[in-house]
Amino acid sequence: MLATLSALLAEAAEKKETVNPVLPTTNEIVYGAIFFVLLLIFMWAVCLPPIKKAMRQRDEQVQADLEAAERANAEAEQVRRDYDATLAEARAEAARIVEEARHAADVRRGELIGAVETEVAAKRQAALAELEAQRAAALGDLRDEVAGIAAQAASQVVQQPLDAAAQRSVVDEYVNQAIAAR
Amino acid sequence: MFAAVEFPPIENIVEWPTWFGSGALAFNKIAFMGFIAFILPVLLFLIASSKYKTRLVPKGIQNVVESSVDFVEKQIILPTIGPDGMGYLPLLLSMFLFIFIGNLFEIIPTAHMPANARMANPLVLALITYVVFIGAGLKHNGPKYFVSALFPPGVPKALYVLVTPIELISTFLVRPFSLAVRLFANMLAGHILLITFSVLTISLVGGGILAIISPFSFGMLVAFTGFEFMVAFLQAYIFTLLTGVYIGGAIHPAH
Amino acid sequence: MSTLSHIVHTVAQQAGEAAETTGLNADEAKAVAGAGGAGMAYGLAAIGPGIGIGYLVGQAVQAMARQPESAGQVQTTMFLGIAFTEALALIGFVVFILLKFV
Repeated sequence: MLATLSALLAEAAEKKETVNPVLPTTNEIVYGAIFFVLLLIFMWAVCLPPIKKAMRQRDEQVQADLEAAERANAEAEQVRRDYDATLAEARAEAARIVEEARHAADVRRGELIGAVETEVAAKRQAALAELEAQRAAALGDLRDEVAGIAAQAASQVVQQPLDAAAQRSVVDEYVNQAIAAR
Repeated sequence: MFAAVEFPPIENIVEWPTWFGSGALAFNKIAFMGFIAFILPVLLFLIASSKYKTRLVPKGIQNVVESSVDFVEKQIILPTIGPDGMGYLPLLLSMFLFIFIGNLFEIIPTAHMPANARMANPLVLALITYVVFIGAGLKHNGPKYFVSALFPPGVPKALYVLVTPIELISTFLVRPFSLAVRLFANMLAGHILLITFSVLTISLVGGGILAIISPFSFGMLVAFTGFEFMVAFLQAYIFTLLTGVYIGGAIHPAH
Repeated sequence: MSTLSHIVHTVAQQAGEAAETTGLNADEAKAVAGAGGAGMAYGLAAIGPGIGIGYLVGQAVQAMARQPESAGQVQTTMFLGIAFTEALALIGFVVFILLKFV
């Protein structure tokens, strides 16, 4: 179709003197080619290389800056983590010290309470022993007195002095029986 | 009724008188636009690159230049040729800027004529594309390029009777023409569209009672001017993109 | 297809009749026929690509809506498809220019 078209165009151009709006004119082809080839050469050799170089340089710089920022970020993160770790350590240390102190206090309190308890127990023991001794003494005295009174009363009854020692064993036995019965 | 202003004959809207020179070197408006389309990118790039000495962060002109470079790299080369096509950046960038600035004259007041609405520039660019994509195929694949282009692998043997002539015509004959005609016809159509609405607006203004609908015509003119700005960009993009596709197809024939 | 040839035939016939009845010379008759043919050529050339581009862009929008992450690639392919489809309409436009103005 296009071949027919161009043949048609050529025929039309030959036949008539009127301008054909579709066919190119020589002078415009010449100038178009000249200026485009000039533009191409300038672009190739002069204009584009510095632009591309600057763009690449900037890209690299941006990339480098980005990497540096990344690295600084990582470093800051590391520092923060270290700080956090130190903080946690200090906190653990503090807790440990408090725990130790509490433990020591507990031990000390236990010791003190133990000591006081033994002392109190000893005092109570001593008091009880004294009480027992006094009661035994009182009982002894009482027994002697009862025996004496009984012997005296018996001697009054029998009108003759009784052998105090012999009577005494009888009284003792009686008293013991009374105590046991009570 | 519309006799006040008639649609101008076609040679009045696409042919431009010679400024100086004669014959094959006659310098006219189209050639001047070609000159601007050459000198403007060069100046912009030179100014931008001189500014990098003092400032690496882009600003102003540097942004314009860098975004054009970025656009060609990311939107044209990467999807069509791939990362190994960065060597074609100067060609494709020049092509894009040359076509785009040439197209922009369509809507710049006092110029109002796209340089690519003449067949010359599109034809030159399409022929350069033709040479470059065949050259790229030969450079990367050697003479085997023609074999793989004409006898695409994976086709049953019997079908080559059908496929090879089609491939021959579509790849090696029609491509440069369709490339050139696409750009040329788009810009010429836009140019004629804008002229039509301008002429209609002027005719309506001088057309008695019909003057009341001239604002609508004028509104359409404004709207189409905006539309043509988009077309100017899109055609430059598509021309460059297709060049990239052709080069990519020549470099990687397997696709 | 017969309708199309019928239309073209009718246009040519009208041009011939116009030449006969109004006494136009050959060039003027050709201009009349050319104007009719030009309108026909562009109008017919615009139908197919119009439908094609509409369908193409619709499908591309659907694809982009389904997979927004591949929108860039779809867009590039869409522009390529538009460029190839549009070429047909543009050749029709060139034929229009040739018929009308040459």
